[in-house]
Amino acid sequence: MDISPNEAEESLAAIQRMMQRTRHSIANSGICISLIITGIVWLVGYVCTQFLPSEIVVYIWIGLSVLGSALATVLGIRMGKRVRSPSIAATAAATAKRIGLFWLLLVFYCIATIAVAWPMDGKQRTMIIILFIMIGQLAMSLLLPFSSVWWALPITVLALAGYFLLPGIFYLWMGVLGGGGMIVFGLYIRSRW
Amino acid sequence: MAEFNETIHQPVRLRIMAALVALEPSDEVDFTYLRDLLGVTDGNLGAHLYKLEGAGYIAINKTFIERKPRTYVAATAEGRKAFQEHVAALESILKGE
Repeated sequence: MDISPNEAEESLAAIQRMMQRTRHSIANSGICISLIITGIVWLVGYVCTQFLPSEIVVYIWIGLSVLGSALATVLGIRMGKRVRSPSIAATAAATAKRIGLFWLLLVFYCIATIAVAWPMDGKQRTMIIILFIMIGQLAMSLLLPFSSVWWALPITVLALAGYFLLPGIFYLWMGVLGGGGMIVFGLYIRSRW
Repeated sequence: MAEFNETIHQPVRLRIMAALVALEPSDEVDFTYLRDLLGVTDGNLGAHLYKLEGAGYIAINKTFIERKPRTYVAATAEGRKAFQEHVAALESILKGE
């Protein structure tokens, strides 16, 4: 079979693209789903917080958190079945436990910080929770590629900008730009598969 | 000299092998995931996998997970070697050797 240098170059480029796409897809499949779900929770939750009375908003956030966590768990399990990795199966369970414990402790530290700094208004409380979540996300770069966690940096900058510059529409800002940004970024990752 | 492989060179099979070789040697990928990744139909992917399996380049593992049938695909050691040789052959052509 005769192959021209041009054809060889095209084949090598196709191989390179496919290998990159596979690695990228495997590394980011969980991140993409988690970003879209978190984005929807933030979008609905914060927009409601901006416009609805706080007595109703509490229940909306509880409902959204339970629904978001359940959906993320189900989709996470389904995605985990797509690539079976006997080489890391033994360590994966231990790593998952350590990640779970880390987030549990982070929640404890977040509650402790709010308790120490009390009294504070809703915006301050929200800002502290966002900062703790983003710190946790960035700490995940110890286990995941940095390309999977860098989005926490622009979200933090957006949150700080909204908090200090636009306090009147802070929740709306976080819902539309924070939540919407996560959804768009999640869809962008998905489209690049 | 590296060996050009006509079985692997077919465009869909080339992409299948590239995707499987990108995984860790002991990893295997779900059929539907591979189908979506490649953007091909079930029948098309099945036919090419059959050809690669016949050549000994991939292993197909049919199993049940939560009572549902699932098919996993992985590159064999022989498949990885043939793929690397094919890539080397393409590089040689490109260099005009």
